[in-house]
Amino acid sequence: MMRLGLLGTVFLAGAALMSLEMASFRLVEPELGSDLVVWGSLISVFLGGLAIGAVGGGRWADTRPSLARLGLILAAAGGVALAVPLYADAVLTWAYPGAGAPLPSEWGTGGAGGTELAVYHPPDMRWAALLAGTLLFGLPAVLLGMVSPYAARLFVREMPQMGTHLGQLYGVSTVGSILGTLGTAFYLIALMGTRWLLSLNGLVLLGLGAALVIAHSLRRRSPPA
Amino acid sequence: MKRTTLFAALAVASVAAPALFWVSAGSAADERTITRYDRESKYYRIRIVDYPDEGRRCLHFSKSRGIQSSMILAAPCQLDLQYSRTMAAALAFHPAPQDVLLVGLGGASLPKFIQKNFPDVRLDIVEIDPDVVRVCRDWFEFRGTPNTRVIVMDGRMYLKRAPKQYDIILLDAYAADRVPFHLTTLEFIQLAKSRLKAGGLVVSNLWEHAVNRFFFAELKTFQATFPQSYLCRSGDSGNIVVFGSLATEQLPKEDWAKRAAAISAGKDFGFDLANLVRKEYELLTTQKIDEKVLTDDMAPVDTLRRENPNHFEEAQPK
Repeated sequence: MMRLGLLGTVFLAGAALMSLEMASFRLVEPELGSDLVVWGSLISVFLGGLAIGAVGGGRWADTRPSLARLGLILAAAGGVALAVPLYADAVLTWAYPGAGAPLPSEWGTGGAGGTELAVYHPPDMRWAALLAGTLLFGLPAVLLGMVSPYAARLFVREMPQMGTHLGQLYGVSTVGSILGTLGTAFYLIALMGTRWLLSLNGLVLLGLGAALVIAHSLRRRSPPA
Repeated sequence: MKRTTLFAALAVASVAAPALFWVSAGSAADERTITRYDRESKYYRIRIVDYPDEGRRCLHFSKSRGIQSSMILAAPCQLDLQYSRTMAAALAFHPAPQDVLLVGLGGASLPKFIQKNFPDVRLDIVEIDPDVVRVCRDWFEFRGTPNTRVIVMDGRMYLKRAPKQYDIILLDAYAADRVPFHLTTLEFIQLAKSRLKAGGLVVSNLWEHAVNRFFFAELKTFQATFPQSYLCRSGDSGNIVVFGSLATEQLPKEDWAKRAAAISAGKDFGFDLANLVRKEYELLTTQKIDEKVLTDDMAPVDTLRRENPNHFEEAQPK
């Protein structure tokens, strides 16, 4: 039962992670452009969050692993996902310097009868994209990155065959991520739009977190099997 | 042993598969084309192909034959593609355009046409891909003039920061296999509208292989943004060019055509602009469109483009 519950947890957390990542593209592109720089930055922010979360979550799991704490991690990630649309516009406008400022109205070497093209290149926006991505999605990515090692710790406490079971856990989590990606790309973006998509993921994670906290208290009441 | 065999097979396959593909692609290629340029850029695969029998040079943005731009080698400033001629009708719609913005450079056919025939128009061009700008200069005879400026930037980011307002904003930023959703939405069209001078207009080319639901959603979005809107079904390729105008009074077909004749007078466009207006003119303002407006939050562009509209029959021109 515990085992199935954990597998279900990492499955849903994996799905929500990728669904959030895809929603992040839709949220950022209108402000910072549909640019390789934007996609690369957001992917890196999510991977960076996962890395930090994995290290932190693993360490925390060794001190006092409990279902309730895993539930709190998930609920926190859900809460942030729900809040992101509230401050997204403010963060995005602030991150790219000169957001409101007009471009220079004269530039280049065109004119004077020459045929040289007057071409204007705007200031570099790489750091702006990374900064905005980190502020908006860094925290949920870190929290979701904690899920796998934490769940693994709970999982192997129950199971002696560590390699087999860790493999299952990561496998199921990744399948969840695949379905989260495909589901979002194929259906959800068209079905509900970006802000509802963020909210849906927030609600799924909150619900999942609550379920784990409840499961934890139920288990403490009943004697271990 | 088994593993070694598997690796060997994989190694052979990974070399052989692309090689086979390359050979078949090479032999299938039309003999009467000359590929001048074929390179990946930051955003596209840019290909320039000459068709000597037709005397044309074309710009392609993918492996498909979908043409971004076409240039008659003997007359590089003429508009070769039907949709670009339809877009040029915007210069007749506005009574006296002075400032024009083009979003999406393509093969620079509209810029060259404007530079040649309307040298007093101040033309700004926004193009996201620096390689496209370079290719236009090197292969499509796109030159600078005192009135031409190019900005290498995302179209929406530019409009947000534009230091001036325009009489005409031409949107030509959708490639066949890539429609950036943030350049389709109500928020974006409203942003463009806010960068118009009084009486200005926004014109968008909805380039597609076939009519789909995205067309209608975009038409609806224009309809919702502007007091008056018009559309031209450009040829029979499925191209639709939509015009959104700040002028509250309707521009009747004949008035538009007369202005087209007037601006064509004494110039060698290579096509009859007044005739084009007469043939393609359609008032959009009053048409009923059974599709939702696209918004930043809800713009499932890629999904809509795969779907045929169920109101397709009624919406077809008679």
